[in-house]
Parts: sequence; C-alpha cells; structure tokens
Amino acid sequence: MEIRFTLNNNKVTSAIEPNLRLIDLLRDKFNLTGTKEGCSIGECGACTVIMNGKAVNSCLVFAGQCEGAEIITIEGIEKDGKLHPLQENFLKSGAVQCGFCTPGMIMSAYALLMENPTPTEEEIKDAIAGNLCRCTGYKQIIDAVEKSAKEVVR
Amino acid sequence: MIPVKEILMPKSVDEVCRLIRDNNGLSKIIAGGTDIIPGFHIESPRFENIERLIDINNVDELKSVSIDNNIITIGSAITFSEIISSQILSEKLPLLVKASKTIGSTQIRNRATLGGNFINNAPCADSVAPLLVYDSEVKIKSFTAERIMKLQDFLVKPYGTRLKPDEIVSQIIVPVPAKSFRGDFYKLGRRRAVSISRISLAILLDVDNGLINQIKIASGAVTPIGTRFYDVELFAKGKNFTDESMKEISIKLGERILQVSGVRWSSEYKIPVVQQVCYQLLKKIERGENLI
Ligand code: FES
Ligand code: FES
Repeated sequence: MEIRFTLNNNKVTSAIEPNLRLIDLLRDKFNLTGTKEGCSIGECGACTVIMNGKAVNSCLVFAGQCEGAEIITIEGIEKDGKLHPLQENFLKSGAVQCGFCTPGMIMSAYALLMENPTPTEEEIKDAIAGNLCRCTGYKQIIDAVEKSAKEVVR
Repeated sequence: MIPVKEILMPKSVDEVCRLIRDNNGLSKIIAGGTDIIPGFHIESPRFENIERLIDINNVDELKSVSIDNNIITIGSAITFSEIISSQILSEKLPLLVKASKTIGSTQIRNRATLGGNFINNAPCADSVAPLLVYDSEVKIKSFTAERIMKLQDFLVKPYGTRLKPDEIVSQIIVPVPAKSFRGDFYKLGRRRAVSISRISLAILLDVDNGLINQIKIASGAVTPIGTRFYDVELFAKGKNFTDESMKEISIKLGERILQVSGVRWSSEYKIPVVQQVCYQLLKKIERGENLI
C-alpha cells in the first residue's frame, strides 16, 4: 500500500507493506535511526515520536495508520543546524549517559512543552512516566526539561 | 512476523459494519493498537491469522462525546487522553476520568481507546469498574441491526463478550448519576506508571440522613472479570453509615470476591487488601476527601 504523510515538516510518500510498524518505517525506509526500539511492546518509550501533536510509541502504530498524519521525530526538532533547547539542555545537564532513552525522552518532553509551555515538576514527571532510563536516575532529565521550558519562547 | 496483509480506513460506522459483515475471522477492528500490536509481537493466539485490519480512528461518530437529558454517549474509539481532557466527562463521570489517568503512560493514553479497553474483556481493564458503577450500557451495531445491552451483561467471561463477529461496539451510554452520589476509584498496581492493575475498586454512595440509601461497588483485576456486587450493595442498603457498617461492608465484599474468584495463590494477601481498600474508600467518602 502507499501512504502519504508529513515527516518532519516535509510531505512524503512511501510504498509499504501493511504489516510495517511506524518505527520500522522511520528507521528502515527513511533512515531516521534516532528513534530507538527497546521493548517493542509500549513499555520503555525509546521509540516515542510525535503524531498529530501527541507523543506516541512508534512501536505500537502501524505505518498504514499514518495516512495523512503529521509525524515529528528527534531529527526534526533542530532548526537550521542549531539544536533545540531540549537537546542543548540534556547535554548540559548530564541527562544523557548511554543515550538510548534520550530521543524518546526528548520527544515526550517536546510534546509536553507543545501543550504546556510552563509545566510543573509533577507534570514533567507525568509526561516522561512512559520513558525508561537505566542510566541517569531521572533527576538530570527533569532538570533539563525544566530549564528548557524556561528558555523555549513560543 | 505480523500476518497483516491489508489495513483499511473507513470513514463511517456503516462502512465499518459493511467491512465486518462478511467477517471470516481474518479481519479485526483496530483503534489505538496498544493491545493488538504487542499481541502480534508476542504471537498471541488471540491474533493468529489476522490478515485484514479495519482502522476506526477516522470515524468521527466513534470519537465524540455528547450529553442529552442526562445521558452521556461516548464513542468507543475515544482515547484516554481525550477522556481526560473532556469537560463533560470530568464534570459528570469523574471516576472514569480518574481511572483513565492511571492507564499506561502518556504515549499509551494518546492511542488506547475506551472500547479497546474492555472489548476483549481482560480482567485488568481499568475502565470497567467505573463504567459498571455508572450502570453503563453498550450500543452494538452490525450492518443490519443495532442493539443496546448493559455492560455487565456484555462482559461474559475472561476474554469473552457477547459481541458477534459481524458487530462493533459503537458507543458507550452512561446515565449521569444523581447529584447525591459521592464516590471514588482506587487502583493498585505494582508501580505508579505503565502498570497493570492488580486490584481496582470503584464505589458510588448515596447517604441520606446518616443512612445508606444506595451503594454501588465494582471491582476489576481481583475478580476474573470486572464485577458489580449487587448482593453486597443490598446488604449495605439502609444501614447506618458508621465505622462499624463500613467494616461489615468491606468484610462482606472480601468474602464475596473470594467466592467469585475462588481461592488462588494470591488470595491470602489480595483479599485483606481489597477489604482495606474498600474500607479506606468509604472512610475517605465519610471525611469528604473523595473525588465527587
Ligand atoms: S520500543 Fe516502543 S515502547 Fe519500547
Ligand atoms: S541515558 Fe542510558 S538509558 Fe537513559
């Protein structure tokens, strides 16, 4: 089947097998390997991308369900070669260690800031509750999101 | 290997019904996919041989919430995030909204749907206990017919419902409870987020002049399927709303759950916990710290 959708602000078309998942579409067809696959069953959040303004697990969406959708991945949030404040602050705050969780973590935070530019700590925790990190202990991640919220002027 | 060969995206309920009319067991309706896709992944026998998926996310009628004459109609493909942000539901059905907040993670709630939560009748479906105390009904459609039945009659046994292969649950119909009802919902999982329920309990209570006029109690996860406890409700009716009666009701509920579920390895710790949860919920209501 053929699908048309918007990927990181570009209109794209792709011929796909109906049993392809969104994560496979991104990684294998578009070479966007920033999106990671951890658990494949919706528990770790490493595969988080934004679909129509909402954070979703791309391992739990079929590519065939994305007809007409707007998808944003970690590759789509920098601007003119400049990192997004979330990316900057993750680096500066020591919120990245092995980095496997980072793209998903940042996309969850990005979705949060789209809806709520001034989140409380509780709201941040809630937004990333579906993202597991085995390295940092979360404190640095929450700090990075808090800092970014202050910087992102929308 | 995911066996799917085709994904269709109908735009109306009629079209969905037409597509499932000749369902030969090879088609399945998909909404959020948060149960089906992991099911494929672990090669669950529930989804063996599914060749055709019918995606219902583009059917507006299945996504809307409306209220008319104190009857709320909820499209079965509404997501839990949509439930949480719905003003009508927050105001009129707070137990359902509270339960929705405990489900999965933001990513899951953005995709998972209310209909999808109970359609396979897994015991741990968190929306069921609230829907049962609200006396919810389901509207079921096929290409040629439409029927409405009580949710508790629809849910037959673990992973079994009254849905026929050519039918879809299109709406959930919920009468708004009388203003005099107080209530709350409690879920116990192994951790706070992305957790599967071990015990959930929903209670609605109407106390008049210190007497229990009516109480509605439903459980999830701790019973083989979501269950209303009419006999315990009857037992409680007319009693003084005192610490003593709260204890009696909680003990009775535990006994009843044990009868329904049979003794399991987990009974020894689960039953006292359910009793305590019930007692604490009633206490909360007495103190006025409840949700509604
Ligand atoms: S890979 Fe998708 S949630 Fe873990
Ligand atoms: S940095 Fe390693 S999992 Fe988060």
